[in-house]
Amino acid sequence: MLDVALVSLIQDMSEKAGVEGTIQYWERVGESLAMRMGKEAYMGWPSFNVALREGRTAYSIEGDVTPLTDLAVTDVDGDVVGYIYALKTCVFEPTMQRVRYSVGDVPQADAAVAEEYNNSVKDTAICNFCVIHQKFREEVAKNITVADQPLECVQLADRGFKGETKIARDSLKRIGINPEYVRSLLRNYACVFAILMKGARLKGEEEVEE
Amino acid sequence: MIEEREIHKEYEIKENPLVDVAAYLFLEDIADKQGAAGMNNYLISLATSLAKSMPEEEYKTWEDFVESLEKGESIISTFESVRAKTNHCMVTHKCPFERGWKEYTKRIGDFARVHKEVADYYNSTVKPGVNDTQCIICQTFRAAAAERITVAKKRLKYAQLAAVAPDGSKKIAPDEWKPILLEKAGVTNTDLNMVLRNNACIWILY
Repeated sequence: MLDVALVSLIQDMSEKAGVEGTIQYWERVGESLAMRMGKEAYMGWPSFNVALREGRTAYSIEGDVTPLTDLAVTDVDGDVVGYIYALKTCVFEPTMQRVRYSVGDVPQADAAVAEEYNNSVKDTAICNFCVIHQKFREEVAKNITVADQPLECVQLADRGFKGETKIARDSLKRIGINPEYVRSLLRNYACVFAILMKGARLKGEEEVEE
Repeated sequence: MIEEREIHKEYEIKENPLVDVAAYLFLEDIADKQGAAGMNNYLISLATSLAKSMPEEEYKTWEDFVESLEKGESIISTFESVRAKTNHCMVTHKCPFERGWKEYTKRIGDFARVHKEVADYYNSTVKPGVNDTQCIICQTFRAAAAERITVAKKRLKYAQLAAVAPDGSKKIAPDEWKPILLEKAGVTNTDLNMVLRNNACIWILY
């Protein structure tokens, strides 16, 4: 009920606080959620990936997250510094369905907030709620260590409720993954992201520097 | 029609925990900035605007309305499964916020104290009947939804009798109001206590 009520308030919120204000609100919610969930430490990538699969990490609140262990991200020395992860169903899809049945159209401010986020923060949002959970993931990564190394989360691609997609080409180039490959992942997943060791020297970054 | 309801119910069950927990934190953020009074006003406006965004309803007879309510076709039963104990006494078996509350306490910890503080504010300034902020949303929504419904051309009215929160705390209408409300509901005080053993909320439509 609360989620549907919030959707019906987006328009009002955006009119009062502006779309920029709504983005700030949602980013603060994402940060606060990550902070309240606490810190985690894993011995290595296998233990982190198993914890994720078993729903024991903060990331598990989003639902069915699959570690794509065939897609390891390596650094310039060929060491594994992260993996690609994929969320089966967009966290807001059930809410969108509930809104459609109980209220009707999603407010226009939804798209306006996403557009402003894409222009002013980064071009990865499809709906206004992408702001919350993309920020949440970034902040959660800061609270987790794998082999004593802090992590970083990079948004790669997402598919919206109506089928629209966003692919972060710069981020894909940085970690050395072909955008067409990620597009094919979107056939089966709603959201794709990478979790990496913070500060890792990635091949894509070296190429850009050269 | 039945198929549509089944689809709807399916999505009600599968609501994502992140959305619910994020919504609670959003409300707590408002309380940090605007205090209990500000959060209380926000919750009332939230629930009222939700009800107003839904279509109005009219029923020819009380029986038609109760049938629609129990089937989940009325806006007043959009978010909760309602059973009519008597013609005017309605029972909600499971609090519509229970799932969100469980996710919050499982993943974050104790439900923030502010949710009870705002409830105290509501009980002393609006009307006594809520356990926490979730009850404020639910009860305000029911009242605002009732205003959008007519039965035999008469506007529907709502009154709260008792509610049990997901944490087990209970709020029953004040003693001076209880006899009138029980009479309107067509139940006894013993009935009320029996219903509260395994239901979340008991309320009146008239």
